[in-house]
Amino acid sequence: MGNKQSIFTAQQLDAYQDCTYFTRKEILRLFYRYRDLAPQLVPLDYTKQPDVKLPYELIGSMPELKDNPFRQRIAEVFSEDGEGNMSLDDFLDMFSVLSEMAPRDLKAYYAFKIYDFNNDDFICKSDLEKTLNKLTRSELTDDEVKMVCEKVMDEADLDNDGRLSLEDFQHMIVRAPDFLSTFHIRI
Amino acid sequence: MTSDLNRQDSHREYDYFPGDGYPGDHHSLRLRRLSSRRSIPNIPHYNPSSSDGGDSEADNQGQPRELRGLPQHMAIKKAKLKSRGILVPVLSKAELWKQDKLKKLQKLQNKAREFLYFLTLWGKTLQKIGGNFGGGVRSYFLFLRFLVILNFVSFLLMAGFVIIPSLVFRQTGVSFMNSNSTAGEEKCTIYEPNPPGLVVFYDYFLDLLSGTGFMEYSFMFYGYYNNTMVEDRNFSYKISLAYLFTAIFYFAFCLICIITRMGSAARVAVATGGSTVVNYSMIVFTGWDYGCLGDTATKLKQKNLLYRLQVDLEEERLKKHAASLTLLQKFGLHSLRLLMFLLVLGLNIAAFFGIFYATSYSQNQSAGKESDGVQALFFEYLPSIVISAGNFLVPLLCDQIAKVEHYSPSITVIVALLRAVVLRFVGLGVLLFTLWDQITCTGKINDEKCKLCRYNYDSYPCWETRVGQEMYKLTLFDLLINIAVLVLVEFPRRMVVDNWSSKISQLVGRQEFVVSANVLGLVYSQTVVWTGAMFCPLLPLINTVKFVILFYCKKITLFSNCRPPQKTFRSTTSAFFFLVVLLLGWMLASVVLIYSIAVIRPSLGCGPFRFYDSMWSIVPKSLNSLPAVTQEFLFFIGSQAFTIPLFSLSSLVMFYVIALFSIYGKSVRLLRQQLKGESRDKQFLVKQIEELSQ
Repeated sequence: MGNKQSIFTAQQLDAYQDCTYFTRKEILRLFYRYRDLAPQLVPLDYTKQPDVKLPYELIGSMPELKDNPFRQRIAEVFSEDGEGNMSLDDFLDMFSVLSEMAPRDLKAYYAFKIYDFNNDDFICKSDLEKTLNKLTRSELTDDEVKMVCEKVMDEADLDNDGRLSLEDFQHMIVRAPDFLSTFHIRI
Repeated sequence: MTSDLNRQDSHREYDYFPGDGYPGDHHSLRLRRLSSRRSIPNIPHYNPSSSDGGDSEADNQGQPRELRGLPQHMAIKKAKLKSRGILVPVLSKAELWKQDKLKKLQKLQNKAREFLYFLTLWGKTLQKIGGNFGGGVRSYFLFLRFLVILNFVSFLLMAGFVIIPSLVFRQTGVSFMNSNSTAGEEKCTIYEPNPPGLVVFYDYFLDLLSGTGFMEYSFMFYGYYNNTMVEDRNFSYKISLAYLFTAIFYFAFCLICIITRMGSAARVAVATGGSTVVNYSMIVFTGWDYGCLGDTATKLKQKNLLYRLQVDLEEERLKKHAASLTLLQKFGLHSLRLLMFLLVLGLNIAAFFGIFYATSYSQNQSAGKESDGVQALFFEYLPSIVISAGNFLVPLLCDQIAKVEHYSPSITVIVALLRAVVLRFVGLGVLLFTLWDQITCTGKINDEKCKLCRYNYDSYPCWETRVGQEMYKLTLFDLLINIAVLVLVEFPRRMVVDNWSSKISQLVGRQEFVVSANVLGLVYSQTVVWTGAMFCPLLPLINTVKFVILFYCKKITLFSNCRPPQKTFRSTTSAFFFLVVLLLGWMLASVVLIYSIAVIRPSLGCGPFRFYDSMWSIVPKSLNSLPAVTQEFLFFIGSQAFTIPLFSLSSLVMFYVIALFSIYGKSVRLLRQQLKGESRDKQFLVKQIEELSQ
């Protein structure tokens, strides 16, 4: 089983195994999932490392992602060009971080980047408001949004600069017991 | 390759060391502002030969793991892998071999993990439930699965040490007949479970439901076992001793299982610092479940989060309001609450009296054997019916009362739960108390009924079997009620709501799966099984089958009839809370066990302990047959010379751990303050730089 595939060279598969939390079988299965999104664009032979990127619309239509309110941010964070167009490497990377074997610190780092809407390496008030609206379908009143943002800043902002840095975020995540199980997509 | 490096210009690079948590000294303001690093990042700091210590993941998998833990794009990681490939030949042959073996071991572990996941009981079902209904409902099913496995393993224990040897040795062993019985006690030894004469055909079915008749003198109940003993050259086996020790070990085993499971759940509970503490940042950043699939589930999750946030804000408002009440208003509120508390207490006491009377009446009826057929069955099941009715009605009334009390939402839920727990356990306790009352004539040995045999011989020729039968009936009735509610209430409700669109059906809606009530039901059944296991050795097996049936029934009703819960509270769905309540049940059952082993006289007519003063007295008698050295050792362990130093040593260890705990708490607080101080210094320095540069 597995030794007869001709999609990747043995070296490539080994490299993928070392760089992600997936086994051989899972990597091949993920490759087929990736290919299923656009069979005409993705070749069956990756030994020459073709430069193929699937546009964001296809990635966002995957059943695991299509209802997630943060799918666009997820795709943007994990794609190389920051626009959501993902190559196979990015695809594997994304699901590796979101798998159940990734450690908490790694997940916290990427979660931070996902919630950082303006990509300035800080979660500021506007980022928080956008996150909140995505979480509750914009059904909280403006007043409530403001109150919640204030409370979050009070609780999490340790260095008192009015925005959350990565350290603040990680410090808070340490005390969240189910972060590992919620920041997890099974594919 | 160079294009990969150039891409880093657009991203700020963090010095990331997995396992440190905080980058520490490597960070400075200057580094944070820099936007590119030309060299391959981290290689200067990356030391292949010292990779073993660098992981906080508590494994010594070596280098491959560290690479995948880096928060960089795949291309960079591959580049690092390649460059590491260049460094590797520097290592010695032994190191290479070690790395190779580690890699193979890792692959083996991965394969094993895949296989184990496949083997896990109901793994896929649980995942589906979690995805569609959320973590709370899933935790109920996880708890159910834990109980199924616990019961099955306990049954294997019982079977291996008591049932199978009894089966095998019944023909070959020697039964003891103690001739030390005092005169006049011969009457107590008469026990005829199988009444002679013709038996109507439906009696078999009735007997199955109530544990009498053909079931009474069978492997089901205590009365069937004799104190058979088998002795060989190298091998001797005493059923009575095995029975006693298996029962005790069964309880100890269950306790260990519960505490082990509590350990992991407790760690989680301690880390959150108590789940009633409102924590907005937790909800906002960790509330979203990325594994949520489907449009409806997503909308529901969003509603759930909305509700949680609104409830928390509401609690804040209530707190502010409560703080601003005048003294008169506060007094009025507190007296109202006291009144409601007394009302609830009154309701509970009424329920307990109901159980007491029902049990006494039922016991008298079955002792008198006046009624027949279905009527007899009804009287047999009267205690179970009253208990189930009480467990259903009283919480309903308490809910209405809670509306008057005006507690904050989270406290209301906890109070309701506590009341339900107290009701169930004390109800069971009242039933057991009533039984004890009947069996031992309220403890008065000189009462005329109990004078001869020290227990009520007339009504209870074999009292252990009777207690076992009561527990068996409770278990069976619980299962029947669950299935009946499923078929008669839940399915019709769904059909009515779906097909008949009127205002009422809209108001009522599809039902919600209430996790806490269901969990209490499970804990109650398990407590009943624990109480009855001593007297009905097959009860764990019956309970395993019952829980498996319950699992599938609940799963069917969940997917067909229920809508996912919109309003949940974390504290009430946490695994730690379930296990604490289960532990309470265990304690109740162990009190019963200890009392029946040590105090009440075993029946003279049946069972492996007849002719002994108490079940425990068999142990001292058997000790005499052990070799002298073992006896002395055992006596030494029980003596004060050993237990007092042991006690002082364990107290010492406990004080040390408590001191350590408080020190850690203090150091965490100190570090936090240091962090705040550092950031203030940073801001000050930045301002200075800006001033100086102007």
